[in-house]
Amino acid sequence: MRHLLSAIVIALSSPAGADGADIRAIVVGHILPGYQILATEAADLAATAASECAPNSPDLIADFNTAFDAWVSVSHLRFGPSEQQDRAFALAFWPDTRGSIPKALATLLGDQDPAVSDPDAFAEVSIAARGFYALEFLLFDPQFAPGDNPEYHCALVQAITGDIALISAAIHDDWRGGYGDVMSDAGNDTYRTPTEAAQQLFTALSTGLEFTANARIGRPLGTFDRPRPNRAEARRSGRSLSHVILSLTATKDLSALMSADSAAVAEAFDTALQRAEALDDPIFAGAADPQGRLRIEVLQQEINDIRQLLAESVGPSLGIAAGFNSLDGD
Amino acid sequence: MANRRSFIAGMFAAGALPRATWAQVGSPAFLSAGMAPDGTFVLCGLSRDGQITFQRSLPARGHAAAAHPVRAEAVAFARRPGTFAIVLDCATGTQTAQLDAPYGRHFYGHGAFSPDGDLLFTTENDFDAGRGVIGVWDVSDGYRRLGEVGSGGVGPHDIKLMPDGASLVIANGGIETHPETGRTKLNIPTMRPNLSYIDFDGQLLDQIELDPAHRKNSIRHLAVSAQGSVVFAMQWQGDLTEDLPLLGVHNSTAGTVDLVGDASVQTMNGYLGSVAVSRNGAQIATTSPRSGTLQIFEGPTLRSETRLRDICGVAATDTGFYATTGTGLAVAPSGQRVAHPVAWDNHLVPI
Repeated sequence: MRHLLSAIVIALSSPAGADGADIRAIVVGHILPGYQILATEAADLAATAASECAPNSPDLIADFNTAFDAWVSVSHLRFGPSEQQDRAFALAFWPDTRGSIPKALATLLGDQDPAVSDPDAFAEVSIAARGFYALEFLLFDPQFAPGDNPEYHCALVQAITGDIALISAAIHDDWRGGYGDVMSDAGNDTYRTPTEAAQQLFTALSTGLEFTANARIGRPLGTFDRPRPNRAEARRSGRSLSHVILSLTATKDLSALMSADSAAVAEAFDTALQRAEALDDPIFAGAADPQGRLRIEVLQQEINDIRQLLAESVGPSLGIAAGFNSLDGD
Repeated sequence: MANRRSFIAGMFAAGALPRATWAQVGSPAFLSAGMAPDGTFVLCGLSRDGQITFQRSLPARGHAAAAHPVRAEAVAFARRPGTFAIVLDCATGTQTAQLDAPYGRHFYGHGAFSPDGDLLFTTENDFDAGRGVIGVWDVSDGYRRLGEVGSGGVGPHDIKLMPDGASLVIANGGIETHPETGRTKLNIPTMRPNLSYIDFDGQLLDQIELDPAHRKNSIRHLAVSAQGSVVFAMQWQGDLTEDLPLLGVHNSTAGTVDLVGDASVQTMNGYLGSVAVSRNGAQIATTSPRSGTLQIFEGPTLRSETRLRDICGVAATDTGFYATTGTGLAVAPSGQRVAHPVAWDNHLVPI
């Protein structure tokens, strides 16, 4: 359905801009649908949690997975509405390098913090106790099982899912209610030219791939001498590899729109996607084993190769020179 | 010439005779790292008229350098998360020593000497602890590492000697990274940059944090006037729709912080790459390679704005500001440009 929608939008939209990327087509065909799915799935998750909040509820777990999928599929679009008021971080506090999520959850549970009964108050609790990664602890980590206080545990699950739904709706509303036009109709304070809008999208695409290679895969890999499989993203719910596949799929869609359906770019994504799907290592446990590790490293390298290919083949056609300093980030 | 050079190098190794001073070598006026056309990385000396005085290869991409206060010697640092720094004889570009970051540390790319040049201080990442440290090196003993002290924050980037000759100012950018995850920023939602002042023993003398609205403004680069005003240049980690100043001046004597509104997220595309201040502190120059802009301020007032693609390096001279670009230009204060087949890296270091 999503691909069909993209195709129709492209056919109806304005001709390609001077720089080769049709920004409105990307907003309407890639960004808005992605955030709409997130808003819908997050609302469903909150509604389910309102009636079924126990970690052993199959409906709750199914909705958790669907909504989390929807987030990962837009997690490369880190600019504009998602970055206002730290919304994206409130949805996704990962990587959690200092173990802040379990600490923040333990504090809320220990104090029986009444913030769980008031969405405004909950929006002010530690950002580490909010979002999908905190929810995953509550639903999958035995250390945070409902135990002898199922009522508060339930209230916390409901507070987090309600918060996720509010944030997801707010991001979608902002995209639909103005930011989509700001991006599509360059010539404003945020995007002075269509090239600047294309650059933002290209940066998001490249950073999204970098995050997948460096964090989603790099964190569990650690080093050869010290592999860190326990650092795999969302390993408690068995979603680590699935996040790599979801993110590659979403960035492939954006790349196609930005590269005028370049066959070479699509092929590079397909190679990495096929390798990921064949990996058969859902939580990168193989990071600790020389052979398994090698296979994960090859996948990581293929994702880095995609970035390189995009920088060389797509960047210049969008008016994005490979700036030695401008892309350095130091 | 080669004979004389090796003779001098031999004397250096023996430590028997005093080494060349800046006055004796005459040139270069600046140092800059760069990338050669074949994609390899180099460190170059640049003269005041924009000519390359020496070019030597680096094992990987460089970043900034620190000039010895007396001897014609400089230390060129690897780009983070690099672990090497190279000591050079600036008359010839010959390497005289190498610093290696100890196990569990990497360099951030900047360093500063004590006034007598006996000590070198380097910004480093204690990455498993997620803590910034300042490495202390004994210059007179062949750059032997003496130890390290806390930087006062996370992600220390630039470091400068204060004019009192006894303290250092450090830009703790606030961003946690780990070599296992490359340059991926790990803590943006909780980052807390600061400006820290320490003495040579690592004692924290003063620390400045901007108010919470600026929490995602990573303080990266510094320039210090002779009077001790510290100019700091920032890189915004939030969304580009917010418009905050990226440049500030801290006067530790008066205890004031003045933010410069014209160097903002929107005018400079959220990112300042370098900063320089005239000796008397009256003029400030800052660059943004992302917006391709050089801004020059007289006090807080914007005096000029020059557009040049990928401009980043900037240094103060007696007659104005010298700048370099990633497209190979060396631009004199007069506006005169010399083009080189070297992509100049972030910083132009005056010597």
